[in-house]
Amino acid sequence: MGESGLSSLSSDFMHEVANTPRGRGVLTCIQCGRCTSSCPVARVVEEHNPRKLMEMIILGSRSDVLLGQLPWHCLSCFTCLDRCPQGGDVGETMFAIRNLAVREGNIPKGTLVQAQSLFDTGRVVTPSRMALVNRQRYGLGKEPAVDVKDVQKILRKTCFSKLTSQGS
Amino acid sequence: MKKVKYAFFLGCLIPAREPNYESSVRKIAPELGIDLVEMEGANCCAPFSIQSVDHLSWLALAARNLCVAEQMGLDIMTLCNDCYESLLMGNTILKEDKEIRDKVNEILADVGLEFKAKTDVKTFVDVLHKDVGLVRVKNAIRRPFNGLQVAVQPGCHLTRPKRIHFGEWMGVTALDELVEATGAKSIAYERKESCCGGPLRGINDEVAQHVAKQKLDSIKAAAADCIVTVCPFCYLELDMGQLEIKRHMQLKEEEYDLPVLHFVELLRMAMGMELEDWEIRAHRTPITRVLKM
Repeated sequence: MGESGLSSLSSDFMHEVANTPRGRGVLTCIQCGRCTSSCPVARVVEEHNPRKLMEMIILGSRSDVLLGQLPWHCLSCFTCLDRCPQGGDVGETMFAIRNLAVREGNIPKGTLVQAQSLFDTGRVVTPSRMALVNRQRYGLGKEPAVDVKDVQKILRKTCFSKLTSQGS
Repeated sequence: MKKVKYAFFLGCLIPAREPNYESSVRKIAPELGIDLVEMEGANCCAPFSIQSVDHLSWLALAARNLCVAEQMGLDIMTLCNDCYESLLMGNTILKEDKEIRDKVNEILADVGLEFKAKTDVKTFVDVLHKDVGLVRVKNAIRRPFNGLQVAVQPGCHLTRPKRIHFGEWMGVTALDELVEATGAKSIAYERKESCCGGPLRGINDEVAQHVAKQKLDSIKAAAADCIVTVCPFCYLELDMGQLEIKRHMQLKEEEYDLPVLHFVELLRMAMGMELEDWEIRAHRTPITRVLKM
């Protein structure tokens, strides 16, 4: 990187995000900040600022966006999405960024655990042995079965298993 | 009387952690003429965490569940806001976007399925409010909770994002009306429609707890007797969350002691069917205060 720091910016990044499913909203952002002012996380985490994140995408700070923690602070509550005056889909863009971040190896442990559980059992949360015993005691009948083989076939075909095996 | 029949999507969290939610649904459904048919082999809805990893995997897994319902010839009824959002949004995208639908169907061909856009996704709030109807719910009340001040927690994905919901869907109003059908009062409080923090549980617990605390403080300030939820994530975050917040923020035991009930539990009791001991004990924050009302 030169002294100006210019070489760390990627002019294509905004379009890379916009061409990702759910990422189109970045093209219509006018930086008004309504997303940040309606964000429940921004109220409790000082550095969480969806408007700023959109700005970083527009300016091309690719590695700061994709390797940072900010996209993973989003609750996906969609308040920003409903309030954006541009129909700019900030909450949707967060999914686009997280999808790209995962491909850079940036995935929180908790997300990874859920993803691996999904591949192994067809569920993100699985009942403990005790929970299964209790079902019978409570008269809830047999636990609903999941077709794990089908789930695994699907997730192999979409390369999901590759994406989530690198972090483990 | 009108019979209402749905493919019953139970999801992951409820059978794993909240059998007291499932048991009350199974108790009230036949009383209100709702016929719930199990979805054999259904998988996880692919919620927020999975959508964050990969877009196509989400849609393919959601589509597989939608195909199971299509083969049953039924619409889906969900109990969880996250299942609702994932399946409803997935269904909407797959119905509208031919390119992604073709891609998903190519994947589904490997497991012998095809998405045919023949099913709809509803939350049980909608089913109770519209299909069963407020009048029938009111007529089923035997032991009204007169005077009970309820802070309703609708949860995010009951209504958001707006654009995937059908034009007339006023989820929060519907839920308020259902709560008030039990005789209780749905009180106003600040941040009623704001998130519980639950989606970050296990991913960033500290942020999740701070978001939950804001909500709990608003509810306390409004002097609610209890919180009523419809989403198992909100339930977990606000019920068990109170204990975690007190522990991690080193607060006094009496600081947060708000009973949290699944809406169906409140409805069931109002219909005259008492909770069993194990169902009462399933609540991490004691609900004795509500039981005495």
